[in-house]
Amino acid sequence: MTERISKYQRFKMMNPIIQFFKFIYLSIKIMIVVAGGHGGTREVK
Amino acid sequence: MSKIVILGAGISGHVAASHLRRKLSKEHEVVVVSPNSNYQWIPSNIWVGIGRMKSKEILFPLAPLYRKKNIGFLQAKAISFHPEGDAVEAKPYVLSEYVIGEKKGVQEKVTYDYLINATGPKLNFEATDGLIPGSNKTYSVCTYGHADHAWHGLNGLIQEMKKGKKAKILIGTGHAKATCQGAAFEYILNVEQELRKHKVRDMAEITWISNEYQLGDFGMDGMLLSYNSMTMKSSEMVEMIFEDRDIKWILGAGVEKIEDGLAHYENLDGEHKTESYDFAMLIPAFSGHGFKAFDKGNQDITDKLFKGFMIVDADYTSKPYEEWSVQDWPETYQNPSYKNIFAPGIAFAPPHAISKPRKSKNGTDISPAPPRTGMPSGITAKLVADNIIDSIKKGKESLEHKGSMGNMGAACIASAGYGLTQGSGVSITTYPIVPDYHKYPKSQGRKLGKTFGEIGLAGHWLKLALHYAFIYKAKMKPFWWLIPE
Repeated sequence: MTERISKYQRFKMMNPIIQFFKFIYLSIKIMIVVAGGHGGTREVK
Repeated sequence: MSKIVILGAGISGHVAASHLRRKLSKEHEVVVVSPNSNYQWIPSNIWVGIGRMKSKEILFPLAPLYRKKNIGFLQAKAISFHPEGDAVEAKPYVLSEYVIGEKKGVQEKVTYDYLINATGPKLNFEATDGLIPGSNKTYSVCTYGHADHAWHGLNGLIQEMKKGKKAKILIGTGHAKATCQGAAFEYILNVEQELRKHKVRDMAEITWISNEYQLGDFGMDGMLLSYNSMTMKSSEMVEMIFEDRDIKWILGAGVEKIEDGLAHYENLDGEHKTESYDFAMLIPAFSGHGFKAFDKGNQDITDKLFKGFMIVDADYTSKPYEEWSVQDWPETYQNPSYKNIFAPGIAFAPPHAISKPRKSKNGTDISPAPPRTGMPSGITAKLVADNIIDSIKKGKESLEHKGSMGNMGAACIASAGYGLTQGSGVSITTYPIVPDYHKYPKSQGRKLGKTFGEIGLAGHWLKLALHYAFIYKAKMKPFWWLIPE
């Protein structure tokens, strides 16, 4: 086993308080990417 | 009055039916034809496969909901397509056969004005010799039934490991051209965490086997993504996770035969190798359902409708990888020969793969097929429904709603372990799904910032939140339409 994720990184990944804010941030960011619209690719501008 | 028939009640079919019913007045008829009695939220199957959810938590019966919402429902399977009708029936129809009840085995011509083919893929286990879920120690998590079996098999092995048995676990793709690597990726991380939870992790050797050329390809040619303040390749991110979890990997592997506890595969060097295991979860190849189509004179016109999956407004011209273009991908999912037939979700025939195609030294194709599961299924189903609604309301064809996978973002919230405080998830978004190398030439065809990755507990909460939100939406509870696809 190779420890590729440091203890500090792991603490940040699993800390419920930090992750709560991350959850809010991710929810908004994902919403922007996904609900940000979609369309065609063939229109000649 | 128009009649819209939807074949299939999975993510794509159900989304289309819901939006059509909400936006069309009652004089128009919406009918769903599906052999399945239940709606299932497939992304949560992996949690059923580790015993953390019961299958009843991820499904609900369709008939009562459709009755309440005035959506017609035939529990039947499509047999053949007749887009011009026949000598007796003037209207186009789909020949369907009831699969349950008094009418079981009875065939019926289901006529339509508009047809949405949302039949998804056939899980083509037969394409790999011996790959049968629940036998030869191999399992699948492609359906809730398969996932139940997988948990039964895994739990049995965990109990043996607690008594001192050393075990080998193999998870990945079960065919040289399989897709849906994401589901296998989630499952391997969840299994690894469950083994730690049961304190038997040190008794198991866990191996990822995949037809991908690199880790993190996911059938999308991999991606360059933002991670914290860095820009890294998805292959590097997955390698970091696998090494950290002590998961080994075999890449470029086309599994060709399964025997009891043995997976035989060919690699890109043309070598034929064998990997032994005590428990395996291997995703099968996906294929079309093999439907036939006939014209008014009963002549076979299958090649007008199908190319394995259904033909839509894509550019199917055969060309080398270097000439592939994002413009090849469909925008409206309309069949070019029969303008009242659409195929969103997995049911449409992709113009080509997304990942670079590779052959072994023996000439065997070993590379992932393109994924169209999850979010793209919902988005494409909604835009097809919206175009049909507009066409009906305007009285003429309207194709204003477009959604190419080359101009569409997707989120893959991959569970990496279950638990409200001990869980984890790998959240990846990608924009666009099909890389646009002209628009984003310096970032591997995708927009950095909109293509990002995150690892942590928040990812698990997100996946759990999506589970409840999408089941709420699928049950068409108040304001369900405010939840985006």
